Amino acid sequence: MTTAVMPSGDAKLEVRNLGKSYMKDDRGIEVLRDVCFSIADGEFVSIVGASGCGKTTLLRLLDGLIPPSSGAIYLDGRPIEGPGYGRALVFQQDRLLPWRNVLSNVGFGPEIQRRNGKAERERAARYVDLVGLRGFERHYPHELSGGMRQRVNLARALNAEPEVLLLDEPFASLDAQTREIMQAELLRITAEAKKTAIFVTHQIDEAVYLSDRVLVFTVRPGRLKEEVKIDLPRPRQLAVKRTPEFVSYTDHIWQLIEQEVREAIGLEAREAAALHA
Amino acid sequence: MRIRLSGGLVRGAVSVLAAGALWEIAGRTFLNNPLFFAPLSAVLDKMGELWASGDLQVDIAVSFEEFIIGFILASIAGIGIGVVMASSKALCQYIDPWVSMLYATPFVAVAPLLVLWLGIGLAAHVAVVFIVVVFPVLINTYSGLANSDRDLIEVARSFGADQIQIFSKIRFPGALPFIVAGLRQGVARGLVGVVVAELFGSHAGLGYLILISGQEFDAAGLFVGILLFALAGIGVVEIVRVIERRIAPWRAQDGRS
Repeated sequence: MTTAVMPSGDAKLEVRNLGKSYMKDDRGIEVLRDVCFSIADGEFVSIVGASGCGKTTLLRLLDGLIPPSSGAIYLDGRPIEGPGYGRALVFQQDRLLPWRNVLSNVGFGPEIQRRNGKAERERAARYVDLVGLRGFERHYPHELSGGMRQRVNLARALNAEPEVLLLDEPFASLDAQTREIMQAELLRITAEAKKTAIFVTHQIDEAVYLSDRVLVFTVRPGRLKEEVKIDLPRPRQLAVKRTPEFVSYTDHIWQLIEQEVREAIGLEAREAAALHA
Repeated sequence: MRIRLSGGLVRGAVSVLAAGALWEIAGRTFLNNPLFFAPLSAVLDKMGELWASGDLQVDIAVSFEEFIIGFILASIAGIGIGVVMASSKALCQYIDPWVSMLYATPFVAVAPLLVLWLGIGLAAHVAVVFIVVVFPVLINTYSGLANSDRDLIEVARSFGADQIQIFSKIRFPGALPFIVAGLRQGVARGLVGVVVAELFGSHAGLGYLILISGQEFDAAGLFVGILLFALAGIGVVEIVRVIERRIAPWRAQDGRS
Protein backbone atom coordinates (compact mmCIF):
# COMPACT_ATOMS: atom_id res chain seq x y z
CA MET A 1 0.00 0.00 0.00
CA THR A 2 2.79 2.42 0.85
CA THR A 3 5.15 1.43 -1.94
CA ALA A 4 6.58 4.49 -3.62
CA VAL A 5 4.81 5.25 -6.85
CA MET A 6 6.58 7.38 -9.37
CA PRO A 7 4.65 10.27 -10.86
CA SER A 8 2.78 9.33 -14.00
CA GLY A 9 4.25 12.21 -16.00
CA ASP A 10 1.52 14.14 -17.73
CA ALA A 11 -0.07 15.56 -14.55
CA LYS A 12 0.76 19.09 -13.43
CA LEU A 13 0.57 18.13 -9.79
CA GLU A 14 0.80 14.60 -8.46
CA VAL A 15 0.05 13.63 -4.86
CA ARG A 16 1.25 10.13 -3.94
CA ASN A 17 0.43 8.24 -0.71
CA LEU A 18 0.57 11.50 1.21
CA GLY A 19 0.29 11.24 5.00
CA LYS A 20 0.68 13.78 7.79
CA SER A 21 0.72 13.31 11.55
CA TYR A 22 1.78 15.64 14.29
CA MET A 23 2.02 15.69 18.07
CA LYS A 24 -0.46 17.65 20.10
CA ASP A 25 -0.49 17.55 23.91
CA ASP A 26 1.65 14.38 23.86
CA ARG A 27 -0.84 12.64 21.58
CA GLY A 28 -0.11 11.77 17.99
CA ILE A 29 -2.79 13.04 15.64
CA GLU A 30 -3.06 11.61 12.16
CA VAL A 31 -4.42 14.38 9.97
CA LEU A 32 -4.05 12.86 6.51
CA ARG A 33 -3.68 9.22 5.46
CA ASP A 34 -2.59 7.81 2.14
CA VAL A 35 -3.94 10.60 -0.04
CA CYS A 36 -3.49 10.11 -3.80
CA PHE A 37 -4.69 12.34 -6.62
CA SER A 38 -3.37 14.18 -9.61
CA ILE A 39 -4.32 17.45 -11.24
CA ALA A 40 -3.98 18.35 -14.90
CA ASP A 41 -2.57 21.60 -16.20
CA GLY A 42 -5.19 24.36 -16.14
CA GLU A 43 -7.63 22.30 -14.11
CA PHE A 44 -9.70 23.83 -11.28
CA VAL A 45 -10.11 21.34 -8.44
CA SER A 46 -11.91 21.89 -5.16
CA ILE A 47 -11.37 19.97 -1.96
CA VAL A 48 -14.38 19.72 0.34
CA GLY A 49 -14.95 17.93 3.61
CA ALA A 50 -16.14 18.38 7.14
CA SER A 51 -13.99 20.55 9.41
CA GLY A 52 -11.06 18.54 10.71
CA CYS A 53 -10.55 16.60 7.48
CA GLY A 54 -7.11 18.14 7.03
CA LYS A 55 -7.99 20.45 4.13
CA THR A 56 -5.80 23.30 5.31
CA THR A 57 -2.99 20.89 6.24
CA LEU A 58 -3.12 19.52 2.70
CA LEU A 59 -2.73 23.00 1.22
CA ARG A 60 0.17 23.78 3.53
CA LEU A 61 1.82 20.54 2.40
CA LEU A 62 1.22 21.44 -1.25
CA ASP A 63 2.74 24.88 -0.65
CA GLY A 64 5.74 23.28 1.04
CA LEU A 65 5.29 25.16 4.32
CA ILE A 66 5.34 21.85 6.20
CA PRO A 67 6.95 18.53 5.20
CA PRO A 68 4.85 15.38 4.74
CA SER A 69 5.17 12.51 7.22
CA SER A 70 4.93 10.03 4.38
CA GLY A 71 4.43 10.05 0.64
CA ALA A 72 5.39 12.83 -1.74
CA ILE A 73 4.10 15.63 -3.93
CA TYR A 74 5.38 16.20 -7.45
CA LEU A 75 5.09 19.41 -9.42
CA ASP A 76 5.84 18.80 -13.12
CA GLY A 77 7.37 15.48 -12.07
CA ARG A 78 9.77 17.05 -9.52
CA PRO A 79 9.25 16.49 -5.80
CA ILE A 80 8.27 19.53 -3.72
CA GLU A 81 10.78 20.18 -0.95
CA GLY A 82 9.82 23.61 0.32
CA PRO A 83 7.88 26.76 -0.47
CA GLY A 84 8.72 28.86 -3.43
CA TYR A 85 8.42 29.09 -7.15
CA GLY A 86 5.59 27.40 -9.02
CA ARG A 87 2.96 27.71 -6.32
CA ALA A 88 1.35 30.55 -4.41
CA LEU A 89 -1.01 30.33 -1.49
CA VAL A 90 -4.05 32.56 -1.05
CA PHE A 91 -4.60 32.62 2.69
CA GLN A 92 -7.93 32.32 4.43
CA GLN A 93 -7.48 35.59 6.29
CA ASP A 94 -6.05 38.14 3.89
CA ARG A 95 -2.79 38.51 5.85
CA LEU A 96 -1.78 41.73 4.10
CA LEU A 97 1.18 43.65 5.49
CA PRO A 98 -0.48 46.62 7.21
CA TRP A 99 2.48 48.93 6.61
CA ARG A 100 2.40 48.46 2.85
CA ASN A 101 -0.05 49.93 0.38
CA VAL A 102 -1.97 47.80 -2.13
CA LEU A 103 0.65 47.99 -4.89
CA SER A 104 3.48 47.20 -2.51
CA ASN A 105 1.60 44.26 -0.99
CA VAL A 106 0.95 42.85 -4.45
CA GLY A 107 4.64 43.29 -5.29
CA PHE A 108 5.75 41.32 -2.24
CA GLY A 109 6.37 37.97 -3.99
CA PRO A 110 8.73 39.22 -6.71
CA GLU A 111 10.46 41.40 -4.12
CA ILE A 112 11.22 38.29 -2.03
CA GLN A 113 12.55 36.66 -5.22
CA ARG A 114 14.78 39.76 -5.55
CA ARG A 115 13.19 40.85 -8.78
CA ASN A 116 12.48 44.57 -8.44
CA GLY A 117 12.65 45.90 -11.98
CA LYS A 118 10.33 48.15 -13.92
CA ALA A 119 8.70 45.10 -15.54
CA GLU A 120 7.80 43.76 -12.08
CA ARG A 121 6.24 47.06 -11.04
CA GLU A 122 4.16 47.19 -14.21
CA ARG A 123 3.03 43.60 -13.72
CA ALA A 124 1.97 44.29 -10.13
CA ALA A 125 -0.10 47.22 -11.40
CA ARG A 126 -1.67 44.92 -14.02
CA TYR A 127 -2.76 42.42 -11.37
CA VAL A 128 -4.18 45.20 -9.20
CA ASP A 129 -6.18 46.14 -12.26
CA LEU A 130 -7.16 42.52 -12.97
CA VAL A 131 -8.74 42.10 -9.53
CA GLY A 132 -10.63 45.34 -10.05
CA LEU A 133 -8.73 47.63 -7.70
CA ARG A 134 -7.42 50.24 -10.12
CA GLY A 135 -7.30 53.57 -8.34
CA PHE A 136 -6.62 51.94 -4.97
CA GLU A 137 -2.89 51.29 -5.54
CA ARG A 138 -1.81 53.76 -2.84
CA HIS A 139 -4.42 52.73 -0.28
CA TYR A 140 -3.43 50.87 2.86
CA PRO A 141 -5.16 47.64 3.95
CA HIS A 142 -6.92 49.33 6.88
CA GLU A 143 -8.63 51.64 4.38
CA LEU A 144 -10.15 48.73 2.39
CA SER A 145 -13.22 46.55 2.88
CA GLY A 146 -12.93 42.80 3.55
CA GLY A 147 -13.75 41.96 -0.06
CA MET A 148 -11.15 44.40 -1.40
CA ARG A 149 -8.50 43.05 0.96
CA GLN A 150 -9.23 39.53 -0.24
CA ARG A 151 -8.78 40.76 -3.83
CA VAL A 152 -5.36 42.13 -2.88
CA ASN A 153 -4.55 38.75 -1.28
CA LEU A 154 -5.45 37.08 -4.59
CA ALA A 155 -3.50 39.60 -6.68
CA ARG A 156 -0.46 39.10 -4.44
CA ALA A 157 -0.54 35.35 -5.10
CA LEU A 158 -1.11 35.80 -8.86
CA ASN A 159 1.74 38.30 -9.09
CA ALA A 160 4.18 35.65 -7.88
CA GLU A 161 3.36 34.06 -11.28
CA PRO A 162 2.60 30.61 -9.89
CA GLU A 163 1.64 27.76 -12.16
CA VAL A 164 -0.53 26.35 -9.40
CA LEU A 165 -2.70 28.61 -7.29
CA LEU A 166 -3.59 27.24 -3.84
CA LEU A 167 -6.62 28.82 -2.20
CA ASP A 168 -7.56 28.19 1.44
CA GLU A 169 -11.23 29.14 1.92
CA PRO A 170 -10.43 32.64 0.70
CA PHE A 171 -14.04 33.81 0.76
CA ALA A 172 -15.06 32.28 4.10
CA SER A 173 -14.97 35.58 5.98
CA LEU A 174 -16.94 37.52 3.35
CA ASP A 175 -20.65 38.17 3.44
CA ALA A 176 -22.85 36.06 1.11
CA GLN A 177 -23.29 38.68 -1.63
CA THR A 178 -19.61 39.63 -1.77
CA ARG A 179 -18.73 35.94 -1.83
CA GLU A 180 -20.88 35.33 -4.92
CA ILE A 181 -19.25 38.21 -6.75
CA MET A 182 -15.78 37.04 -5.74
CA GLN A 183 -16.52 33.52 -6.99
CA ALA A 184 -17.47 34.84 -10.41
CA GLU A 185 -14.40 37.09 -10.40
CA LEU A 186 -12.14 34.17 -9.49
CA LEU A 187 -13.47 32.14 -12.43
CA ARG A 188 -12.84 35.04 -14.77
CA ILE A 189 -9.33 35.65 -13.40
CA THR A 190 -8.17 32.01 -13.40
CA ALA A 191 -9.51 31.57 -16.93
CA GLU A 192 -7.82 34.77 -18.07
CA ALA A 193 -4.51 33.99 -16.38
CA LYS A 194 -4.73 30.27 -17.33
CA LYS A 195 -3.92 28.98 -13.87
CA THR A 196 -4.19 25.56 -12.33
CA ALA A 197 -6.10 26.02 -9.07
CA ILE A 198 -6.70 23.99 -5.94
CA PHE A 199 -9.49 25.47 -3.88
CA VAL A 200 -10.26 24.37 -0.33
CA THR A 201 -13.74 25.16 0.94
CA HIS A 202 -16.56 23.81 3.04
CA GLN A 203 -19.19 25.46 0.85
CA ILE A 204 -20.45 22.75 -1.49
CA ASP A 205 -22.15 25.11 -3.95
CA GLU A 206 -18.98 27.18 -4.15
CA ALA A 207 -16.95 24.04 -4.97
CA VAL A 208 -19.38 22.89 -7.68
CA TYR A 209 -19.68 26.33 -9.23
CA LEU A 210 -15.92 26.84 -9.54
CA SER A 211 -14.54 23.40 -10.27
CA ASP A 212 -13.84 20.89 -12.99
CA ARG A 213 -13.57 18.26 -10.26
CA VAL A 214 -14.48 18.13 -6.58
CA LEU A 215 -12.48 15.90 -4.22
CA VAL A 216 -14.53 14.87 -1.20
CA PHE A 217 -12.50 14.06 1.91
CA THR A 218 -13.33 11.97 4.99
CA VAL A 219 -12.85 13.23 8.54
CA ARG A 220 -9.69 12.59 10.48
CA PRO A 221 -7.60 11.02 9.30
CA GLY A 222 -8.44 12.76 6.04
CA ARG A 223 -8.63 10.45 3.04
CA LEU A 224 -10.00 10.87 -0.41
CA LYS A 225 -13.55 9.54 -0.28
CA GLU A 226 -14.75 10.23 -3.78
CA GLU A 227 -14.01 12.49 -6.68
CA VAL A 228 -16.90 14.11 -8.51
CA LYS A 229 -16.40 15.39 -12.02
CA ILE A 230 -18.45 18.53 -12.68
CA ASP A 231 -19.70 18.58 -16.27
CA LEU A 232 -21.16 22.05 -16.40
CA PRO A 233 -20.32 24.15 -19.47
CA ARG A 234 -17.86 27.03 -19.21
CA PRO A 235 -17.83 29.98 -18.99
CA ARG A 236 -20.28 29.69 -16.12
CA GLN A 237 -22.65 32.44 -15.09
CA LEU A 238 -23.89 32.73 -11.52
CA ALA A 239 -27.32 31.64 -12.86
CA VAL A 240 -25.94 28.13 -13.34
CA LYS A 241 -26.43 27.68 -9.59
CA ARG A 242 -30.20 27.48 -10.16
CA THR A 243 -30.08 24.74 -12.83
CA PRO A 244 -31.22 21.19 -11.94
CA GLU A 245 -27.80 19.77 -12.94
CA PHE A 246 -26.08 22.05 -10.47
CA VAL A 247 -28.48 21.12 -7.70
CA SER A 248 -28.05 17.39 -8.33
CA TYR A 249 -24.26 17.81 -8.01
CA THR A 250 -24.55 19.66 -4.72
CA ASP A 251 -27.09 17.10 -3.40
CA HIS A 252 -24.80 14.23 -4.31
CA ILE A 253 -21.78 15.83 -2.59
CA TRP A 254 -23.84 16.78 0.43
CA GLN A 255 -24.89 13.15 0.86
CA LEU A 256 -21.23 12.10 0.69
CA ILE A 257 -20.30 14.65 3.34
CA GLU A 258 -23.30 14.40 5.66
CA GLN A 259 -22.12 11.23 7.37
CA GLU A 260 -18.65 12.76 7.72
CA VAL A 261 -20.03 15.92 9.29
CA ARG A 262 -21.94 13.87 11.86
CA GLU A 263 -18.78 11.94 12.66
CA ALA A 264 -16.78 15.18 12.91
CA ILE A 265 -19.27 16.60 15.40
CA GLY A 266 -19.01 13.42 17.46
CA LEU A 267 -15.22 13.54 17.24
CA GLU A 268 -15.12 17.14 18.46
CA ALA A 269 -17.44 16.32 21.33
CA ARG A 270 -15.27 13.36 22.36
CA GLU A 271 -12.10 15.50 22.17
CA ALA A 272 -13.68 18.24 24.23
CA ALA A 273 -14.77 15.65 26.80
CA ALA A 274 -11.25 14.14 26.88
CA LEU A 275 -9.79 17.61 27.34
CA HIS A 276 -12.02 18.37 30.31
CA ALA A 277 -11.62 14.92 31.87
CA MET B 1 -11.29 65.74 10.27
CA ARG B 2 -9.92 69.26 9.77
CA ILE B 3 -12.73 70.77 11.76
CA ARG B 4 -12.17 68.36 14.63
CA LEU B 5 -8.43 69.02 14.58
CA SER B 6 -8.81 72.81 14.71
CA GLY B 7 -11.49 72.39 17.39
CA GLY B 8 -8.94 70.44 19.40
CA LEU B 9 -6.35 73.15 18.84
CA VAL B 10 -8.74 75.86 20.00
CA ARG B 11 -9.58 73.95 23.17
CA GLY B 12 -5.90 73.28 23.83
CA ALA B 13 -5.09 76.97 23.41
CA VAL B 14 -7.98 77.98 25.68
CA SER B 15 -6.73 75.58 28.34
CA VAL B 16 -3.14 76.91 28.19
CA LEU B 17 -4.26 80.56 28.24
CA ALA B 18 -6.56 79.93 31.21
CA ALA B 19 -3.75 78.23 33.14
CA GLY B 20 -1.43 81.14 32.29
CA ALA B 21 -3.99 83.64 33.59
CA LEU B 22 -4.49 81.59 36.76
CA TRP B 23 -0.73 81.48 37.27
CA GLU B 24 -0.51 85.28 36.90
CA ILE B 25 -3.40 85.92 39.30
CA ALA B 26 -2.09 83.47 41.89
CA GLY B 27 1.37 85.03 41.71
CA ARG B 28 -0.04 88.50 42.32
CA THR B 29 -2.48 87.63 45.11
CA PHE B 30 -2.12 84.80 47.60
CA LEU B 31 1.25 83.40 46.34
CA ASN B 32 2.94 86.77 46.29
CA ASN B 33 6.14 85.90 48.17
CA PRO B 34 8.91 86.22 45.51
CA LEU B 35 11.06 83.71 47.41
CA PHE B 36 8.66 80.87 46.67
CA PHE B 37 6.65 81.80 43.61
CA ALA B 38 6.63 84.20 40.69
CA PRO B 39 3.78 85.36 38.49
CA LEU B 40 4.02 84.44 34.79
CA SER B 41 4.91 88.00 33.82
CA ALA B 42 7.91 87.98 36.17
CA VAL B 43 9.03 84.64 34.75
CA LEU B 44 8.80 85.99 31.20
CA ASP B 45 10.67 89.15 32.27
CA LYS B 46 13.40 87.01 33.75
CA MET B 47 13.52 84.93 30.58
CA GLY B 48 14.00 88.09 28.49
CA GLU B 49 16.70 89.29 30.86
CA LEU B 50 18.60 86.00 30.68
CA TRP B 51 18.22 85.96 26.92
CA ALA B 52 19.59 89.49 26.61
CA SER B 53 22.63 88.57 28.69
CA GLY B 54 23.26 85.57 26.43
CA ASP B 55 23.26 83.13 29.37
CA LEU B 56 19.96 81.50 28.41
CA GLN B 57 21.14 80.60 24.90
CA VAL B 58 24.22 78.94 26.39
CA ASP B 59 22.13 77.00 28.91
CA ILE B 60 19.71 75.81 26.25
CA ALA B 61 22.53 74.81 23.91
CA VAL B 62 24.38 72.89 26.63
CA SER B 63 21.28 71.00 27.79
CA PHE B 64 20.18 70.31 24.23
CA GLU B 65 23.60 68.96 23.31
CA GLU B 66 23.65 66.64 26.32
CA PHE B 67 20.16 65.43 25.61
CA ILE B 68 20.54 64.87 21.88
CA ILE B 69 23.90 63.06 22.06
CA GLY B 70 22.70 60.82 24.88
CA PHE B 71 19.38 60.19 23.19
CA ILE B 72 20.85 59.25 19.80
CA LEU B 73 23.51 56.97 21.30
CA ALA B 74 20.92 55.32 23.56
CA SER B 75 18.51 54.84 20.66
CA ILE B 76 21.15 53.15 18.52
CA ALA B 77 22.31 50.96 21.41
CA GLY B 78 18.76 50.19 22.59
CA ILE B 79 17.51 49.17 19.17
CA GLY B 80 20.72 47.23 18.48
CA ILE B 81 20.66 45.27 21.74
CA GLY B 82 16.90 44.68 21.36
CA VAL B 83 17.50 43.22 17.89
CA VAL B 84 20.29 40.99 19.21
CA MET B 85 18.11 39.77 22.08
CA ALA B 86 15.22 39.00 19.73
CA SER B 87 17.36 37.10 17.25
CA SER B 88 19.15 34.76 19.66
CA LYS B 89 17.48 33.03 22.55
CA ALA B 90 20.82 32.21 24.20
CA LEU B 91 22.10 35.81 24.00
CA CYS B 92 18.74 37.00 25.28
CA GLN B 93 19.09 34.78 28.33
CA TYR B 94 22.58 36.18 28.98
CA ILE B 95 21.47 39.79 28.67
CA ASP B 96 18.04 39.58 30.29
CA PRO B 97 19.02 39.59 34.02
CA TRP B 98 21.15 42.70 33.48
CA VAL B 99 18.39 44.50 31.70
CA SER B 100 15.88 43.68 34.44
CA MET B 101 18.31 44.71 37.17
CA LEU B 102 19.50 47.93 35.58
CA TYR B 103 16.01 48.93 34.47
CA ALA B 104 14.80 48.61 38.05
CA THR B 105 17.73 50.60 39.48
CA PRO B 106 16.73 54.18 40.29
CA PHE B 107 19.01 56.09 37.98
CA VAL B 108 19.13 59.04 40.38
CA ALA B 109 21.33 56.81 42.51
CA VAL B 110 23.70 56.30 39.58
CA ALA B 111 23.95 59.95 38.52
CA PRO B 112 26.34 61.12 41.30
CA LEU B 113 28.51 58.08 40.63
CA LEU B 114 28.78 58.94 36.95
CA VAL B 115 29.68 62.54 37.78
CA LEU B 116 32.32 61.14 40.13
CA TRP B 117 33.75 58.90 37.42
CA LEU B 118 33.47 61.13 34.41
CA GLY B 119 33.83 64.55 36.02
CA ILE B 120 31.54 67.54 35.84
CA GLY B 121 30.65 68.12 32.21
CA LEU B 122 29.35 66.74 28.96
CA ALA B 123 30.49 63.14 29.34
CA ALA B 124 28.81 62.53 32.69
CA HIS B 125 25.58 64.22 31.61
CA VAL B 126 25.42 62.33 28.34
CA ALA B 127 26.03 59.11 30.27
CA VAL B 128 23.08 59.80 32.58
CA VAL B 129 20.78 60.53 29.62
CA PHE B 130 22.05 57.39 27.89
CA ILE B 131 21.30 55.17 30.88
CA VAL B 132 17.76 56.41 31.36
CA VAL B 133 16.87 56.33 27.66
CA VAL B 134 18.47 53.05 26.61
CA PHE B 135 16.20 50.75 28.64
CA PRO B 136 12.75 51.76 27.46
CA VAL B 137 14.03 51.72 23.87
CA LEU B 138 15.66 48.32 24.33
CA ILE B 139 12.71 46.73 26.08
CA ASN B 140 10.17 48.02 23.56
CA THR B 141 12.33 46.98 20.61
CA TYR B 142 12.69 43.51 22.05
CA SER B 143 9.01 43.02 22.85
CA GLY B 144 8.01 44.39 19.43
CA LEU B 145 10.26 41.86 17.73
CA ALA B 146 9.36 39.03 20.10
CA ASN B 147 5.66 39.49 19.30
CA SER B 148 6.04 39.23 15.54
CA ASP B 149 2.90 38.22 13.69
CA ARG B 150 3.29 34.50 12.92
CA ASP B 151 0.72 34.64 10.15
CA LEU B 152 2.69 37.31 8.31
CA ILE B 153 5.93 35.37 8.78
CA GLU B 154 4.19 32.40 7.18
CA VAL B 155 3.18 34.58 4.22
CA ALA B 156 6.83 35.51 3.73
CA ARG B 157 7.91 31.87 4.04
CA SER B 158 5.26 30.88 1.51
CA PHE B 159 6.87 33.25 -1.00
CA GLY B 160 10.25 31.68 -0.25
CA ALA B 161 11.72 34.33 2.06
CA ASP B 162 14.96 33.59 3.94
CA GLN B 163 15.57 34.51 7.59
CA ILE B 164 17.12 37.88 6.74
CA GLN B 165 14.13 38.82 4.58
CA ILE B 166 11.69 37.66 7.26
CA PHE B 167 13.48 39.97 9.66
CA SER B 168 13.83 43.00 7.41
CA LYS B 169 10.44 42.78 5.67
CA ILE B 170 8.14 41.39 8.37
CA ARG B 171 9.52 41.44 11.89
CA PHE B 172 11.29 44.80 11.92
CA PRO B 173 8.54 46.83 10.22
CA GLY B 174 6.04 45.13 12.52
CA ALA B 175 8.09 46.18 15.55
CA LEU B 176 8.51 49.80 14.44
CA PRO B 177 5.44 51.13 16.30
CA PHE B 178 6.78 49.53 19.49
CA ILE B 179 10.21 51.04 18.89
CA VAL B 180 8.74 54.50 18.41
CA ALA B 181 6.71 54.07 21.60
CA GLY B 182 9.99 53.23 23.35
CA LEU B 183 11.60 56.34 21.90
CA ARG B 184 8.70 58.44 23.18
CA GLN B 185 9.16 57.08 26.68
CA GLY B 186 12.89 57.69 26.25
CA VAL B 187 12.30 61.36 25.42
CA ALA B 188 10.42 61.96 28.66
CA ARG B 189 12.97 60.10 30.75
CA GLY B 190 15.89 61.70 28.92
CA LEU B 191 14.68 65.22 29.69
CA VAL B 192 14.43 64.32 33.38
CA GLY B 193 17.91 62.79 33.05
CA VAL B 194 19.38 66.07 31.81
CA VAL B 195 18.02 68.02 34.79
CA VAL B 196 19.10 65.44 37.35
CA ALA B 197 22.56 65.12 35.81
CA GLU B 198 23.05 68.88 35.89
CA LEU B 199 21.75 69.16 39.45
CA PHE B 200 24.55 66.85 40.56
CA GLY B 201 27.24 69.07 39.14
CA SER B 202 27.49 71.38 36.17
CA HIS B 203 28.74 74.75 34.96
CA ALA B 204 25.90 75.49 32.54
CA GLY B 205 22.61 74.17 31.28
CA LEU B 206 18.94 74.51 32.17
CA GLY B 207 19.38 72.15 35.13
CA TYR B 208 22.22 74.39 36.28
CA LEU B 209 19.94 77.42 35.92
CA ILE B 210 17.35 75.67 38.11
CA LEU B 211 20.02 74.68 40.63
CA ILE B 212 21.54 78.19 40.91
CA SER B 213 18.14 79.93 40.98
CA GLY B 214 17.04 77.63 43.77
CA GLN B 215 20.14 78.36 45.80
CA GLU B 216 19.64 82.10 45.29
CA PHE B 217 15.90 81.92 46.16
CA ASP B 218 15.15 83.24 42.68
CA ALA B 219 11.75 81.69 41.99
CA ALA B 220 11.43 83.42 38.60
CA GLY B 221 14.71 81.96 37.33
CA LEU B 222 13.67 78.54 38.59
CA PHE B 223 10.42 78.72 36.67
CA VAL B 224 12.25 79.77 33.50
CA GLY B 225 14.11 76.47 33.59
CA ILE B 226 11.01 74.43 34.35
CA LEU B 227 8.95 76.16 31.65
CA LEU B 228 11.61 75.59 29.01
CA PHE B 229 11.86 71.91 29.90
CA ALA B 230 8.11 71.54 29.65
CA LEU B 231 8.11 73.20 26.22
CA ALA B 232 10.99 70.99 25.07
CA GLY B 233 9.06 67.94 26.25
CA ILE B 234 5.97 68.94 24.29
CA GLY B 235 8.06 69.72 21.21
CA VAL B 236 9.99 66.45 21.13
CA VAL B 237 6.95 64.29 21.90
CA GLU B 238 5.12 66.02 19.04
CA ILE B 239 8.02 65.27 16.66
CA VAL B 240 7.95 61.60 17.68
CA ARG B 241 4.19 61.53 17.12
CA VAL B 242 4.61 62.88 13.59
CA ILE B 243 7.18 60.14 12.93
CA GLU B 244 4.76 57.59 14.38
CA ARG B 245 1.99 58.69 12.04
CA ARG B 246 4.31 58.39 9.06
CA ILE B 247 5.68 54.93 9.78
CA ALA B 248 2.53 53.35 11.21
CA PRO B 249 -0.50 55.08 9.67
CA TRP B 250 -2.69 52.01 10.36
CA ARG B 251 -2.03 52.45 14.07
CA ALA B 252 -2.20 56.22 14.25
CA GLN B 253 -5.84 55.86 13.21
CA ASP B 254 -6.60 54.01 16.42
CA GLY B 255 -6.44 57.40 18.09
CA ARG B 256 -3.75 59.31 19.87
CA SER B 257 -1.86 57.30 22.40
